[in-house]
Amino acid sequence: MKRPSAATHMSEVDVQPGSQQAPRRPRSRGLGDLALAVTAHGSALLVFLMAAFLVGVLAFAAAPSFKRFGPAFLVGTEWRPNELERPKLGPDGKMVIKDGESVMEIIPPAFGALPVIFGTAVSSALALAFAVPVSLATALVLVRVAPRIRLGAMLSFMVEFLAAIPSIAYGIWGLFVLAPFLQRHVEPLLQQLLGDLGAFRWMFYQRLTIGGEVVERPLALTGRDMLCGGLVLAIMIVPIITSVSRDVLRAVPRAQLEGSLALGATWWQSCVAMLHYGRSGLFGASMLGLARAAGETMAVTMVIGNNTTIAASPFAPAQTMSSLLANEFAEASSELHRSALLEVALILLVMSLAFNILARWLVVGASARPSDAS
Amino acid sequence: MFWLCVGACAAVVMVLVLVVSYLVKIGAGSLSVSFFTQAPSGDVANPGGMLHALVGTLILLALASLLGIPAGVFAGVFLCEYGHSRLAMPARFTADVLAGVPSIVVGILGYELLVVPLGGYNGWAGAAALAFIMIPIVARSTEEMLRLVPRSYREGSLALGATKSQTILRIVLPSVGGSILTGIMLALARIAGETAPLLFTALGSRLITYNPGRPFPSLTAQIYTYATGPYPGQRALAWSGILVLIAMLFIINLTVRAVMARAARIRV
Amino acid sequence: MRRQGQMQTQEFTIVLKGSKKPDPPAQPPAPDTGRTPSPPTSPFAWIAETAAARPPEAETICAIDIRRFSCWYGDFQALRSINLQIVKNRVTALIGPSGCGKSTLLRWMNRMNDVIPGARAEGTLDLHGLSLLGSDVDVVDLRRRIGMVFQKPNPFPKSIYDNIAYGPRLHASVPRAELDQTVETSLRRAALWDEVKDRLHKSALGLSGGQQQRLCIARAVAVNPEVLLMDEPASALDPKATLRIEELIRELRENYTIVIVTHNMQQAARVSDITAFFYEGRMVETGPTSDLFMNPKNRQTEDYVMGRFG
Repeated sequence: MKRPSAATHMSEVDVQPGSQQAPRRPRSRGLGDLALAVTAHGSALLVFLMAAFLVGVLAFAAAPSFKRFGPAFLVGTEWRPNELERPKLGPDGKMVIKDGESVMEIIPPAFGALPVIFGTAVSSALALAFAVPVSLATALVLVRVAPRIRLGAMLSFMVEFLAAIPSIAYGIWGLFVLAPFLQRHVEPLLQQLLGDLGAFRWMFYQRLTIGGEVVERPLALTGRDMLCGGLVLAIMIVPIITSVSRDVLRAVPRAQLEGSLALGATWWQSCVAMLHYGRSGLFGASMLGLARAAGETMAVTMVIGNNTTIAASPFAPAQTMSSLLANEFAEASSELHRSALLEVALILLVMSLAFNILARWLVVGASARPSDAS
Repeated sequence: MFWLCVGACAAVVMVLVLVVSYLVKIGAGSLSVSFFTQAPSGDVANPGGMLHALVGTLILLALASLLGIPAGVFAGVFLCEYGHSRLAMPARFTADVLAGVPSIVVGILGYELLVVPLGGYNGWAGAAALAFIMIPIVARSTEEMLRLVPRSYREGSLALGATKSQTILRIVLPSVGGSILTGIMLALARIAGETAPLLFTALGSRLITYNPGRPFPSLTAQIYTYATGPYPGQRALAWSGILVLIAMLFIINLTVRAVMARAARIRV
Repeated sequence: MRRQGQMQTQEFTIVLKGSKKPDPPAQPPAPDTGRTPSPPTSPFAWIAETAAARPPEAETICAIDIRRFSCWYGDFQALRSINLQIVKNRVTALIGPSGCGKSTLLRWMNRMNDVIPGARAEGTLDLHGLSLLGSDVDVVDLRRRIGMVFQKPNPFPKSIYDNIAYGPRLHASVPRAELDQTVETSLRRAALWDEVKDRLHKSALGLSGGQQQRLCIARAVAVNPEVLLMDEPASALDPKATLRIEELIRELRENYTIVIVTHNMQQAARVSDITAFFYEGRMVETGPTSDLFMNPKNRQTEDYVMGRFG
């Protein structure tokens, strides 16, 4: 095939070379781009700085506590910010008497985080136990029933509004409505029903050591206890679990649902198939709820009874990490106390971040899956 | 099982109705004009109103917005429009993580960073703590909204000879301006209800004050103090405060819903 | 692969002769005969009629000069050594099956591929002797001189007026009266003025699809470009709106150099003066539209225009 040369080309078509000057970039135009880029990058940098400051400052301020207690802080069972003065006991277990008076000894403050870690773990677990079944059921209704009866938008709004009510409002409601209700009606009833059964006895009686003797006393039912904290937390995390689960369930491909219905599955069986398909996303939704429950402060502080000890019974007052901070941080009695509180804050931060990261990873994984499945 | 699920759903709705109706009932009983017009009187039997706290909350929100809105929006712009940058993935992750930080921890950070060095509780620290909570929320919601802008808008603008910044500022941002605004409103609603980060930063005050250099009043902190205090008159004020707060949040949520619904209709 | 020899890029010489006049005379409106094929002596009789109705060619200035142009997306070579001259004040149609690289070439002409990571190009791509490929080219200024209309109408969510005024406002602050004038002229050129003059400040999203596309053309015209690139401008429109766009393209030829990518061969035949056929990243054949459709020199071109594949 004959290839015409470039020269013949040029002669046929009149090209005008260099008829235009090379356009030069006006400075102002580049400046606009630069300004926006700098602002945007600066804002992103601010986000990094915030995270760095958060971890850095807390770790720095908690350093004295780290140095003093080391890893034992995590398992110490006693949280006592003040010095304790008590009669000194001799090696035989009796009080040491000198000049007719008992000799007093001063025990320095003790800081162990286990009681509050325990409180946070148990109250969050209780909240999850209440909230997850209810939330999953609600999400199923939102996805499979509500759209047909045109209630979807309305129900979704109600669930989301539940999330918008501030923590302190739940706290006040819990303190003045739920706690008295539990104290007067629910807990006495449970005590009557279960209190004398050996298996549940630990819930209603506490063991005290008085003068060397172990006695068992019925627990004072105040309503402001672990159970109430767990319930209020459950109400607060239902919205987040419900709305994330709803999105996860919506992402279940129709083929999955129709496939199981075509095999003659009942409504509930097909729901189980959906739940099974979206299990990792649903687990992630629960982790998000857990993260929120662990970090929740005001409502818990108002209803959990604020007693920094480890008690097995759900009817005993307790303390979570966040409520401990809310109660004691402002009037920390010493540098060591404050530093120990900061270490608690750091533990709380790390824990809730771990839950959050795990949850995002699971939820994102779940929503990405349908695309590669289809 | 079907009915069990419906029952659970009904229970959720019932709890909402129970909580809200109780708060509304008891709050409305004690709500009066003086709530909005008076500062605390110092007399526990006749405690005055919560004007100082309303003003305080508004000022705190304004100060927090001053930093939080631009930083959040531009961080969102970064996440969406400069997404090819190697910083984008870590920045998105960090914003997500920050959005999950317990608010009391933010309060403690504010105490260590702005209260201790400045020698006392102050409004600046409170506003900064609120902005800290606001920025990741606004950034992520802005990013989500910007992702909804069709690529054809960007290409159309670039093809007319617009620079990247002109395209972003004149086409991309305005086309989802309403949605970004709703994201900001939701973030404001969220921080308006925050108590924990204010306890160790702004603390609270019984005075109407415009000086953020001193302890600063806020609605939520005042409600907390009154509700956990021993005086019935102050508790009644706390109830009213809760009612006002919830009404405010309800209105914001409803407005946001309406705007979102309208925006969705326009897009279709 | 059959007929490998013929797959070689054919460098086609465009021979456009005519008397050189400073200003081409007003062209008579092209008749619409192309849409109703006359009794079939040949399947392309309608093309002959359309082409015959065109006025004699006036000037042959090369607006965009493409030589040995190749480009890649990452490792994938999208275009292989393309040679093509886009002639001033003519409509050039790029045709070919999907994925043949014709849209890619169009997008390189105003550097819209810059935003795609991994896109790179080699060879020559000159606008009036000025290279469009260098990294130091002012892309913003380039895009103002080479406008683009996209496959789907993409009016901004603003008023009709603001859509048109967007371009002029970008580059300078324009007095209101002048802006009004620009808006009116542009809308008139896009044959949209009469339909929208009473609702200039209503949202552009309320227009029909065809009106939106003409608005996009008006928007591109408002910055007074030298070249208009159109990427399947009518593919998302109904037949009636498509006709309006085609008429408009013929009218615009008077003032602008137009490059149009299209899937629709009848459309290429109706609106274009010069057609280039692309296949698998190569330019197989180019020439005056009637020649290419009536007497394709290449077997592949023939198969394609006869509708045997693609």
